[in-house]
Amino acid sequence: MRFVEVSKAYGDHVVFDRFSLEVEVETILAVVGPSGQGKTTLLHLASGLIEADGGAVIKEEEEIGSVSYLFQEPRLIPTATVFRNVELSLRSSESCATVRSQIARYYLEVVGLSDYLSLYPAQLSGGMRQRVAIARSFAHPSRLMLLDEPFQSLDIKLRYSLMDAFLTLWNESPKTTIFVTHDPREAIALGNAVCCLGDPTGPLLYQRIDTPQRARGIDDERLLALEGRLVKALLGS
Amino acid sequence: MRSVKRTLAILLSSLGLLVIWQVGSTLIASQVLLPGLGPVLTTLVTIVGEGPFLGSVLATVARALQAFLIIVITASICGVLGGKYPLFSAIMSPFVTTLKAVPVMSIILLAFIWFTSGEVPLFSAFLMGFPVMYVQVESGWRTIDGSLIQMCDLYEIRGLDRLIHFTIPALVPSLVTGARVALSMVWKVIIAAEVLTVPRFGVGARMQLAQVQLQTDRVLSWTLVAIVLTAAGDLLFEACVALLALLKRTVDRRRTR
Repeated sequence: MRFVEVSKAYGDHVVFDRFSLEVEVETILAVVGPSGQGKTTLLHLASGLIEADGGAVIKEEEEIGSVSYLFQEPRLIPTATVFRNVELSLRSSESCATVRSQIARYYLEVVGLSDYLSLYPAQLSGGMRQRVAIARSFAHPSRLMLLDEPFQSLDIKLRYSLMDAFLTLWNESPKTTIFVTHDPREAIALGNAVCCLGDPTGPLLYQRIDTPQRARGIDDERLLALEGRLVKALLGS
Repeated sequence: MRSVKRTLAILLSSLGLLVIWQVGSTLIASQVLLPGLGPVLTTLVTIVGEGPFLGSVLATVARALQAFLIIVITASICGVLGGKYPLFSAIMSPFVTTLKAVPVMSIILLAFIWFTSGEVPLFSAFLMGFPVMYVQVESGWRTIDGSLIQMCDLYEIRGLDRLIHFTIPALVPSLVTGARVALSMVWKVIIAAEVLTVPRFGVGARMQLAQVQLQTDRVLSWTLVAIVLTAAGDLLFEACVALLALLKRTVDRRRTR
């Protein structure tokens, strides 16, 4: 997926000015940046929720189609059960109820919610609700995955447990993903590449990470150095 | 424990009302101005046994039910349209504002000029109840969580699926509140309209006939019948709401097995 000389402004506030960025097919691009510098705008442009004022968002063939969006908050239908929240995301693509049920149950099992299928969102903890949202985003047969700080409001243990669940599912069916976060460490833990926003004309920093996600240690010197550069770029912006 | 306390408080309060009534009746000492509890209850037993009782009660219930159903259906449809389309809301606005402001008696009197006595209660109840429910549904539609609508768009939850699993459940609190208020209003307006128009059958008509003959005990007895009807209607409504919620939970549980 490529953002080619994209421009976008909200009134006088210019978010992107002939901004270009590439996300390689079936990889995760982690995007960090201060508030108001276009992280969510980037996701909205990628999803088609908003149009660019200029330039183009070009998708590869394998990225054209439905989008899975993991929001900051779980955005579950409060009157639908855990099972129904996931199953509903399959209705547009799968007409057989049995198949839909199998797929929904499978993803809910992977995120550890098999025993909670008949509960409603209000009966779950914040972490469990976000697990349902993760299951839904993978169950939905999408070509592109967009994550808007989905682990932001969770404690560190839960955050890493959910990131682990996310990686398990993502490795099963990799798809082009843009992962927006405030946290440089989170970006380095999940991204195949990281970039830092802060300049409307282009990323302040872009770096591929070759080490597979599962093999990344918290004391890896190269990753610590990258984290340092990201923090500097963030502070500089 | 809390519900026991609440029930006890309601019972004591009701008992207090009856005591005030009886004390007032004893002090006034006039069966025409305020008959005591005993004579009124005796009269109540008498009118229950009389021929026109069942016909009058059934006629009032039928009118109330008809008016209520018409209000629920029309106000729900118009409320959704008003919430969804600002132009429709603007068109409805003068009607709704006028209906909310017009005194109930004006509507009944005008309706009596235009319709027969049997139709007046229905028409008046509709005009009084419709705006209440319309406003609830319209504002309910506007308060539907926009972020969930965006989620439905992205996850392609559309058409009937969206209507059944998202839109209608999101509107249920407004529908229930609107219907509850409309129902209690319907009883009052129906009976008031019956009092003024005196149809052949109706609780209000019986009240009016008793009042003309200065039979205060009968007026109060029919008032008690009206109170019981309203309370029974409210209870039935709450039971239906609870039953539907239970049914939904049961169906949801079965489908996840």
